Amino acid sequence: MKAFVKTLFGDAHNVAVVAILVAVSLGLIAGGQGAFAVYLAPLLAMAGIIWLAHH
Amino acid sequence: MIATLSGFLPTFLTASVEWVEAFTIVLAVSLTIGWGAAAGAAGAAMLTLAALTAATGGALRAGLGVTTIQLVVGVFLLLFGTRWLAKAIARHAGLKALHDEEQEFAETRAKLRGGTWYAAWLIAYKGVLLEGLEVWLIVVAFSLKGGLWLGNAAAALIALALVCAAGLAIRAPLRRVPENAIKFAVGTMIVSFGTYWTLEALGGAGIWPLADWTLLILIAFYLLGGIAAASVLRLRLRLRLRAAAAR
Repeated sequence: MKAFVKTLFGDAHNVAVVAILVAVSLGLIAGGQGAFAVYLAPLLAMAGIIWLAHH
Repeated sequence: MIATLSGFLPTFLTASVEWVEAFTIVLAVSLTIGWGAAAGAAGAAMLTLAALTAATGGALRAGLGVTTIQLVVGVFLLLFGTRWLAKAIARHAGLKALHDEEQEFAETRAKLRGGTWYAAWLIAYKGVLLEGLEVWLIVVAFSLKGGLWLGNAAAALIALALVCAAGLAIRAPLRRVPENAIKFAVGTMIVSFGTYWTLEALGGAGIWPLADWTLLILIAFYLLGGIAAASVLRLRLRLRLRAAAAR
């Protein structure tokens, strides 16, 4: 079961990176800053990926 | 249009990598319980995956709206893509060992030593099922948005046929497949689709200024960003090792 969950979702770090990315994007879009979100989201995702690679 | 039709390549590449890993496990198990039983275990896992694909396709399409499906798909692609791209960057930078099919083969053989026939059969079944789950995830994710179930399932099956043909021809682990390069490319594509679909689901169809063409920009961004990050991390590692050696 543990292997199944890890295959689908990854580890806690992975989930945290995606959760932060989605939460920030949602916050910006809900606040009317969608035009800014489309530039920030890829940068945030890349930063998260580099952090994951480093840990 | 681009976003809808372009699931074939990432599905094919993901499936190729996963089937190579699954083949190594089945090959190791076949030396203990024979080809027939090992192939039977792999077949049973494939049937489970086929049932899972059919069930999820029907259930999700029947119960959820398009935007919700797009958000779920986008988030799953982000979870999967960030993981693959991060692993590929870490391996390219030397922070993580490259995946070695010979080592995987030896480890599976060691696990099988002294075990029962049933335990060996289960190792093959579980190995194929877990590797195949990632293929299932990609087929479902790309098909839910684009609706191209047959095309994406065909991409996974073509990859399976090629890996089986190559593996059966040489009867050894397929260690010459450039797995990390494929993972780098696939991770880049999947995280791009994930970013695109998640933001579109949250902000509506017009959120991306260049519509579908944005995907090409995102792929270039993640690819170049990934290569740059891997180079910087590799350089940092070298400097750290040199400093440690000088001490």
